[in-house]
Amino acid sequence: MTQLRAEPASTMTTGSKSWLRMRAIAKRHAYVLVRSPHRLFDVTLWPLVDVLLFGSLAAFVGTSGTTPAAKASGYLLAGIVLWHVIYQSQIAMSTGLLEETWTRNLLNLMVTPLREIEYLGGVALFGMVKLVMGVGVMVLGALAFFSFDTWSLGFGLVPIVAILLVVGWAISLLVMGLVLRFGTGAEALAWGVMFVLLPLSGVFYPTKALPTAMQPLALALPTTHAFTALRSLVDHRGSDWNQLTIAAVGSLAMLGLSMWFLVAMLRAFRKRGYITRYT
Amino acid sequence: MLDARGLVKDYRRNRAVDGVDLVVRAGERVALLGPNGAGKTTTLLMILGVVSPDEGAVSICGFDLAHQRSRAAECVGFAAGYLPLTERMRVREYLRLYGQLYGIVEPNPLIDAGLERFRISDLAGAMGTELSSGQRTLIGIVRATLHRPRLLVLDEPTASLDPDVAQRVRAGLLDLCGRDGTALLMTSHDMSDVEQVCERVIFLSHGRIVADGSPATVASSYGRGDLAGVFLHLAEGHESSGSQQSDHP
Repeated sequence: MTQLRAEPASTMTTGSKSWLRMRAIAKRHAYVLVRSPHRLFDVTLWPLVDVLLFGSLAAFVGTSGTTPAAKASGYLLAGIVLWHVIYQSQIAMSTGLLEETWTRNLLNLMVTPLREIEYLGGVALFGMVKLVMGVGVMVLGALAFFSFDTWSLGFGLVPIVAILLVVGWAISLLVMGLVLRFGTGAEALAWGVMFVLLPLSGVFYPTKALPTAMQPLALALPTTHAFTALRSLVDHRGSDWNQLTIAAVGSLAMLGLSMWFLVAMLRAFRKRGYITRYT
Repeated sequence: MLDARGLVKDYRRNRAVDGVDLVVRAGERVALLGPNGAGKTTTLLMILGVVSPDEGAVSICGFDLAHQRSRAAECVGFAAGYLPLTERMRVREYLRLYGQLYGIVEPNPLIDAGLERFRISDLAGAMGTELSSGQRTLIGIVRATLHRPRLLVLDEPTASLDPDVAQRVRAGLLDLCGRDGTALLMTSHDMSDVEQVCERVIFLSHGRIVADGSPATVASSYGRGDLAGVFLHLAEGHESSGSQQSDHP
């Protein structure tokens, strides 16, 4: 038999080992997507259905010809396209971990040198690919079916997308923590939490349209400020830096809290031996 | 190679591991034995860093597991008969994934050598779902040995294997340990496995080590002809409550 030696891992720098592991994890999830055609629906069909639904609603509202109706029409289409930035980034990360629990693969991964941060990096890396696919489909669908050019909103979109991306990651870390602590029964939260966030964030309307009691809660969410900044772009008023600053600080705080929560849940996972749920 | 001291683990209703000290030296082949519920798997999971001990510490290749888990894990390979292969991947893709997780940039030559060692090169292109449970176990062992670990940990490696495949596994493990000086720590309910592969056995009962020595020494200290007799004696003691005294020879 041939005598072969693995290249000693110690000869690689920590950074290059981390990058190699992150790419390996991203590739593992690429196989899952490519070999489970129904999962392609998440980044092709469902975004298209959303753009058709909200685009048609926008077209209907816009037929009244009034200024508020025309505004609402733009809010609906821009809102749903940007909402998918949160949705896709959150779902891609959360289902990354859920996939390991569904297939009882957690132990296989946890005994390797893979660090938690490298795993998250790998899943986020592939999540970005899914995000580009899913949001790309929506941008093209909005342009093809409703002549709504998302790019016409300009570079002011960049900070809004970045903030929404961070919020999506923060929510996914929270969901991952809950799954580690409570098992796959908590997976309903991966989807459910988005349905709570959607109306409260004023994705399609200013939050003053919400019931008065809900408005303070809405204002506490970074997403609310990000979508307010988006409406400023739709109304051709340029970037609203005040709202963007509040949203950026809020989203980073949310990310920090979610990371702390995930680390605490991971510690509880190891302490209480919850790995036996998945072996 | 492995130095675990004073390991204690309490679960909600019972103490699973109760003060286990376990040292495995380079190249040593050790079996961790005992009836169901004796604490074998919990001990292994603590050694692997997946479950944190309530008390005690583990060091692997000089790395403290509590603070340098990733570095310690680079020295260890783990496979278990009950673990599935990662789904939706071909065998070579699966082995490449784990090779890269262990820091191997180009794992293909090692994959070929590993598959050849267990005479399953023909499975390289198969999907994980197309394999029998025995074939999956073999692939799992190839994965665990791909990076030439200094410590190989196996939980029930031959549990679902036909006798001929089990023999192939035993031969492959002996070959690996002989060539690379890999230390082996394995659990098994098959005492013939243990007698053929391991030079040292450790019996656990009620989370404690009750015997530690060569198979012949341990069997004779219990007045039994072989390890199966010791196992049965301990299993009977395990079933009757409050019988920890009888666990000892």
